[in-house]
Amino acid sequence: MPLDTSAYNLALLRVDGRRWNELRRVHAQIRTQAAADGSSYLEMGHTKVMCVVTGPSEPGPRRGGAGAGGGGGSGGKDAEVAVSIVIAGFSSVDRKRHGKGDKRTLELQSTVSNALSASLHTHLFPHSQINISLHVLSQDGSLLAALINAATLACVDAGIPMTDYVAACTAGSTSTYAANDEAADPLLDLNHQEEQELPGLTVATLGNSDRVAVLVCESRVQVGRLEGMLAVGVDGCKQMREILDRVVREKGQRMIQEGTVERGVGLNDMDVD
Amino acid sequence: MPITILAPRPSRPINPPSDPRAAMPDSDSDSDSDSDSGGGGGGVGLDPTGDIPMFAAAARRSKHALLDTTTASHSDIVTPGEVITDDPQWMRGHGTFVSAATAAIVSSVAGTVARTNKLLSVRPLRARYTPEVGDLVVGRIVEVQAKRWRVDVGGTQLAALPLSAINLPGGILRKRTETDELQIRTFFAEGDLLIAEVQQLFGDGGAVLHTRSLKYGKLRNGVFVAVSGMGGGGGVVRSRRQVWTMDAANGAGQMDVVLGVNGYVWISKHVETPEGLVAENKGAGITNMEESVSTMMYSSQNDRIGVETMREIARLRGVVTALVENGLRVDEDMVVRGYHEAVEMAMMSAEGADDIYLGGERGRQLAAALTGV
Amino acid sequence: MASTQHVLLSPAELAYLHASLSLTPPIRPDGRTRTQFRPLVAETGILPGANGSARICFADGTEAIVGVKAEVERTQSRHDDETVYVEGAANNGGDGDAETKEDSRTGDSSWAEMTVEIPGLRDDDSGTAFLAAMLSEALLADGEFARRLWINRRFHWKLYLDIILISPPLSYPLPLLSLTTHLALLSTRLPRLQSEGDEDPFFDDDWAAAPHLFPRPTTTTPTHRPPITLLVMAVGDSIIFDPSKEELAVADVALAVSVSGDRSEPGEGGAGRKLRLLSIRTIDPPSRLTPPGVANAANSAYGAGNGAPQKMAEARTAEAEAAAEEGVWRAPRGGAKRAVLGALVQKVLEAGGVVDEVLDALEGVDLG
Repeated sequence: MPLDTSAYNLALLRVDGRRWNELRRVHAQIRTQAAADGSSYLEMGHTKVMCVVTGPSEPGPRRGGAGAGGGGGSGGKDAEVAVSIVIAGFSSVDRKRHGKGDKRTLELQSTVSNALSASLHTHLFPHSQINISLHVLSQDGSLLAALINAATLACVDAGIPMTDYVAACTAGSTSTYAANDEAADPLLDLNHQEEQELPGLTVATLGNSDRVAVLVCESRVQVGRLEGMLAVGVDGCKQMREILDRVVREKGQRMIQEGTVERGVGLNDMDVD
Repeated sequence: MPITILAPRPSRPINPPSDPRAAMPDSDSDSDSDSDSGGGGGGVGLDPTGDIPMFAAAARRSKHALLDTTTASHSDIVTPGEVITDDPQWMRGHGTFVSAATAAIVSSVAGTVARTNKLLSVRPLRARYTPEVGDLVVGRIVEVQAKRWRVDVGGTQLAALPLSAINLPGGILRKRTETDELQIRTFFAEGDLLIAEVQQLFGDGGAVLHTRSLKYGKLRNGVFVAVSGMGGGGGVVRSRRQVWTMDAANGAGQMDVVLGVNGYVWISKHVETPEGLVAENKGAGITNMEESVSTMMYSSQNDRIGVETMREIARLRGVVTALVENGLRVDEDMVVRGYHEAVEMAMMSAEGADDIYLGGERGRQLAAALTGV
Repeated sequence: MASTQHVLLSPAELAYLHASLSLTPPIRPDGRTRTQFRPLVAETGILPGANGSARICFADGTEAIVGVKAEVERTQSRHDDETVYVEGAANNGGDGDAETKEDSRTGDSSWAEMTVEIPGLRDDDSGTAFLAAMLSEALLADGEFARRLWINRRFHWKLYLDIILISPPLSYPLPLLSLTTHLALLSTRLPRLQSEGDEDPFFDDDWAAAPHLFPRPTTTTPTHRPPITLLVMAVGDSIIFDPSKEELAVADVALAVSVSGDRSEPGEGGAGRKLRLLSIRTIDPPSRLTPPGVANAANSAYGAGNGAPQKMAEARTAEAEAAAEEGVWRAPRGGAKRAVLGALVQKVLEAGGVVDEVLDALEGVDLG
């Protein structure tokens, strides 16, 4: 039992010393690869993910059947968001080889693709394809959330227009389904140990609003607890959005300072003469 | 030293090791002030063209003092989802959209705000090339179809070059025949490079090119460089002159440089264009031009190029790459200055004129010399 | 034979590149000298959860990450081995016994497993499988490596090397992957063995006490290093190291050479390092797939084809048989001359040459 319930009730601290509503240490960088259109590197605790975005560009040769959902014969009216995830063999504590056709990987790819498509302005690039390539270097829980956040950052870096950041986070409950503990607290940002033992969900919101873009729950949890977990998760997403935004702004400021980008019109200077 | 291995540059963690919640009130106040300044236009009166120290990190830590600085630093960069203004007098341009809920103009990319009259747009920090009518581009043929070619110009879609939009030998006004269609690969085949101009745009943003001028056509006698990213982020900027001829040092004659707006660059040995020849001949007319078209236009054969010229072309290519790697603009002025600087650097080095390597450290020296000037 | 990705260049560009590289000294497109490598950024120890890790990026954006993980595995007993193991038996006797124990270790090539992941390619793609085979072949060539994984007669370390290419392969990724693997192996540490003899192994929990798989050079012991694989090519008489994809596109011959550099005498610098050739593999340069250029005289765009297509075809074949016309690109035909191959290998194994410099530079990387 990762939470050692008695100790948790005493000090309200989790195994890694966090309280119920604290995110793990987040480290993020954009433009990690100069040759790609957009790239990012994100760490949420020990979960490390790299993302490379290419596009929007010409769609590659259409694989039979796989592109059927994309719509239409010649690419359709919207850009297609193609996601590929590579989970490295050394990413978990036990070395485990993940093939490309692994069911879990396919599902993650499809979820990330839907999440990003909800925000990217794909109608601006008909007949093209946006390729998002994700590499998981280390896993310690909240994998889907880290993948979505890294993909968002890389798309912002690539200059693909979007409605807002898609920020994701996980939330859980201190009580398992079986324990039926009435006083159970919701938890923010689960690590691997907590994800295995406790019920949890991944939620992603569109920016600072309460609009949910992704909600994935693969564990059994009592319906009464769901709302609490969701509320905590959405709040965590807002915190993530601020962190992602800060990374982008810092990079932008540095580029202006270095002169690679021209300074724009100040927002204050909006009065028409 | 044939191999240089560098240590990676350390990155600053963006989350301070202290309680992340302590940082929360900071960003709350920032976003509040943003929407205020965006909406009212009042608030802090700052000179956006003046020199404001952009120490955002320092501003964050001392958030009570220097609130002005924080607002100013945020007013330069907008990020997706950020409201720019909700004043109805403005029209929205590229990089923005109108939020359905509040009818405010919201940015859809990360970049800087640009204003032309009443049109607000956001220039992204980095984006793929988007073709505009009249752009001079360098492109590579990737597909040959029945009556047209598909050209890679580094944009979101392949551009189209119709058979009817190129100059055919035998005269500008010659009718296209079936023979031309069958022999389409004799004009341009897959992999060929060409200069063209964007004639028009399709509704979905795809470009249609044409080479209907003697200064456009197939490229040879030189090397190709791709400069990734366009506009912001250290790429080719649209400027007055994209094609020029310059004198090379060390007795190498002249070089032609083409800076395609799409970030594709071509450097070659200077060859007299038909226009040049025509100008020299007195009484030149249409007939002369037709003959010139026949001999030069679609050749894949390089002329003889001397060693000195090859060396200077390689040097110039190194200059362009160094400008890009160090985040500087690539335009005529920078390239020419960079080249002269590189020649001087070579003079002072041990190998003299033979030293043309401008990667890594040498490139940084070159960039420093240029920005310092 | 490995084929490389087709790179799209016009015949005019190919002819220019070939002419430029055939000069003495060759003028490379980016101005490097014959033996100069592109600058790269390298770091190790980036994955605290792995036994060893390294990451290398080139200036053009190609990036690779290698992680090494080790697991204890029971050794398959062979039929001719004695099946009764007496604990502590190996401790009897003095140093003499210890010596023989050292020599009787044998490794098995199945103890090291290498996988290569390249984005955009399937797992069983021939190119990927070939890369993995080339890299692991070089590593296991001399049998030394597998011996290091021996724990006792019943157990051994199984080493998993996972090689991930982050960026889509812009140039042939073999040297990049090889250098990254070399660094990752240099930074690999295995927990210190505390058990003795043939008993079930147990290890020291203190990671700081874990020794490196390839111990750092000391004054007494000779050092052994993992191999590196380099790409060398020849154009005309010029031999060029670390070719970029454009240079490969005009190569007459391209080879992947695996070399190991063990120090027979410990010492700084290239002195005392014995270079051994482990394997040579020929690479099919993409130049063979390029379409030929057309000389002006034969170019029907100029109306040369009008009127006599039959004669044109004859003229074209006649011209093709003749020596290549200057400025017109022709894909190389036929194989490589033995003298050229010999010269390439000679250049690689030159003492104090490129390989020595590369190995020195890699040793100098700070192991995190």
